[in-house]
Amino acid sequence: MILTGVLLAVLGLGLVGWFAARGRARLLHTGRGSIHSMPGYHAWHVALWIVFPALIAWGAWQAIMPGLVDGAVMADPVAAQLPADAMSRAAILSEAKSIADNPDAVAFNPLANTLAGPVRDAHGRFGLIGALLVAIVAVAGGGWAFTRIRANFPARTRVERGVLGLLLVASLMAILTTFGIVASLVFEAGMFFKDVSPIDFLTGLHWSPGSARGDNLGDSFGAVPLFWGTIYIGAIIAMIVAIPLGLMSAIYLTQYATPTIRKWLKPMLEILAGIPTVVYGYFAALTVAPIFRDFAASLGMANPSTESALAAGVVMGVMIIPFVSSMADDALAAVPRAMSDGSLALGATKSETIKKVLLPAALPGIVAGVMLAISRAIGETMIVVMAAGAAANLSANPFASMTTVTYQIVQMLTGDQEFNSPKTLSAFALGLVLFIVTLILNIIALRVVKRFREAYE
Amino acid sequence: MSNASLSAARDGNAPLGNARWQTPEALRRISRRNAAERRFKLIGLGAIVLSLAFLALLLVIMLKNGLGGLDWSFLSGSDSTDPDIAGVWGAAKGSLLTMAVTLLLSFPMGVLAAIYLEEFAPRSRWIEWVEVSINNLAAVPSIIFGLLGLAVFINTLGMPRSSPLVGGLTLALMTMPVIVISGRNAIKAVPPSIRDAALAIGASKMQTVFHHVLPLALPGILTGTIIGMARALGETAPLLMIGMRAFVVTPPGGITDPSSVLPMQIFLWSDEIDTGFVQNTSAAIIVLLVFLLAMNGLAIYLRNKFEVRW
Repeated sequence: MILTGVLLAVLGLGLVGWFAARGRARLLHTGRGSIHSMPGYHAWHVALWIVFPALIAWGAWQAIMPGLVDGAVMADPVAAQLPADAMSRAAILSEAKSIADNPDAVAFNPLANTLAGPVRDAHGRFGLIGALLVAIVAVAGGGWAFTRIRANFPARTRVERGVLGLLLVASLMAILTTFGIVASLVFEAGMFFKDVSPIDFLTGLHWSPGSARGDNLGDSFGAVPLFWGTIYIGAIIAMIVAIPLGLMSAIYLTQYATPTIRKWLKPMLEILAGIPTVVYGYFAALTVAPIFRDFAASLGMANPSTESALAAGVVMGVMIIPFVSSMADDALAAVPRAMSDGSLALGATKSETIKKVLLPAALPGIVAGVMLAISRAIGETMIVVMAAGAAANLSANPFASMTTVTYQIVQMLTGDQEFNSPKTLSAFALGLVLFIVTLILNIIALRVVKRFREAYE
Repeated sequence: MSNASLSAARDGNAPLGNARWQTPEALRRISRRNAAERRFKLIGLGAIVLSLAFLALLLVIMLKNGLGGLDWSFLSGSDSTDPDIAGVWGAAKGSLLTMAVTLLLSFPMGVLAAIYLEEFAPRSRWIEWVEVSINNLAAVPSIIFGLLGLAVFINTLGMPRSSPLVGGLTLALMTMPVIVISGRNAIKAVPPSIRDAALAIGASKMQTVFHHVLPLALPGILTGTIIGMARALGETAPLLMIGMRAFVVTPPGGITDPSSVLPMQIFLWSDEIDTGFVQNTSAAIIVLLVFLLAMNGLAIYLRNKFEVRW
């Protein structure tokens, strides 16, 4: 596309401007007296004045060009044949656009073929106008900056002010992202709550979006079974696995292991955290789930399902072990040495010291670590998608198939239903609940960790 | 009591000066405590061994199932409905393009934000908000970023669905907080004497940061970036949200073409009923793990090679 070429041309022009300005500023250097800024800063000043205004112009043109193209195409005599209905009109138009981009595409609607010509013309015309606009802005900006190259011009101060602005913008990206998450979740969930009351959603016991029809939508969107499945898998089964194993391995690594053993074992344990969740999910479905199913069958259970809460929870617990371990490691290390020394001096053995002194002292830190681990487990998606199942059961049987919030978000948004149905919007409502719960867990945990550290400092 | 007799008392069988320690009951109690001590230590070792055994089992099963399928046609082919000719290159190229977009966006943004927060930011309400949101973003479940990508990039801005462009943007938002946090720690670790020296010989604040602090902090920042990128490479859930589950028979030609990524290919193949895909899935997992291992190895190498203890 022509505008991409323009972008490269602008960057090239910036480079040319950089060298030209440096050359000119070097000439100033040979004159009498001193210059305010080094030639390099004059060069950057000119280059920034070429590239930034041009980039802004380019972005603005990208934003308004589709509207201009649509207007021009609609004004074309061919467009008079378009159906009056806005929906099919837009469909044909977008088809014509894809043909204009890619001549090999086959049109579904013959009208799109005839419209492709005008679309391509409009694209070419407005693309050219945009390219000219960007070029003019770049040359004007660069030219203005170039005339300012003088011995007493504070180019360094100007460039540094520009860079400081850039740094500020980069750091504001984080706020923008948070705002984007909150805004999109709240907006889409708000559309969902227009159809389904929040009370029904948060307290209903029956989840079956597939059968949702007509005006009693609230009956099919009761999310309690999902919340229960999430808590049961992520906060109960996974933690039964992760807390003892993670805590004991942290105790061994910090209290018993020699530095050499620790140097080797800790990174090996951390490999567990680096394995992608999709791999754990596949492992859970392929190996762990059949073992638990056979075990359930040997216990005399009728028709145990392959997809079980237990398989997903256990594998998730293993994934969390290094996380719990490193949080417990930090918490144990923060306990002052004098406390355990005192206990050892009174004649307690090492294990007695750990159980009666170190662990109680480190408890707030460990609890905070467990809260962070839970927030991680309930947001985990791929393991439950591949191993936990789709049935929204409200059961305490670990061998039963169970579904979670994240599983249903995936379920509602993959597949090809239209975007604004209550079914797809419910995914955003579930996402909002998940976001709020993990946020609260994180904030409390971080606050506890902070206070705990201050207590021992 | 001397040190030697104390340790002898721990063993519970050596003669002692104090007769109270030699009664059978006391000796029994001591040996019981010693046994408890050994038991506790063994439980700790057992916890680690059990976790590592799980890891070993996972790796062995993937290697056993997958090694047979790793040949040149698998590494150079693209997805197919026939497990014998399906290959991993299409997805790997999608991953490369996605990672390129992620790196190009999140690395400069993350480093610049880290510099601002560590070196220039005034103490104000605004900056506190930025810090809180960075810390929280690092802990937000990845699937939420997928919802953001779907709502903003695809539905609002109309970017092409299931393309490396949207995938890369989404993962960049997810990776940026990781880079900011590791970048801040690396910058914080540069001793103030470096800054003082540069300022004392007349460098401006900006020159001090870009000429002296940043180069010294760069190895730490790079280590954090590689770890963040490795996480992004293994991520599946957010990409599932933005529809990167396309059945792609030819490798994507650019960042706006529909494409798949390695973890997504694993997910798609794991769903196939044809048992031939079990081998493909495991082989693709081996390829992904080799990539991740290489990245983490590079991070460890960089840390060991350039780490300076001030």
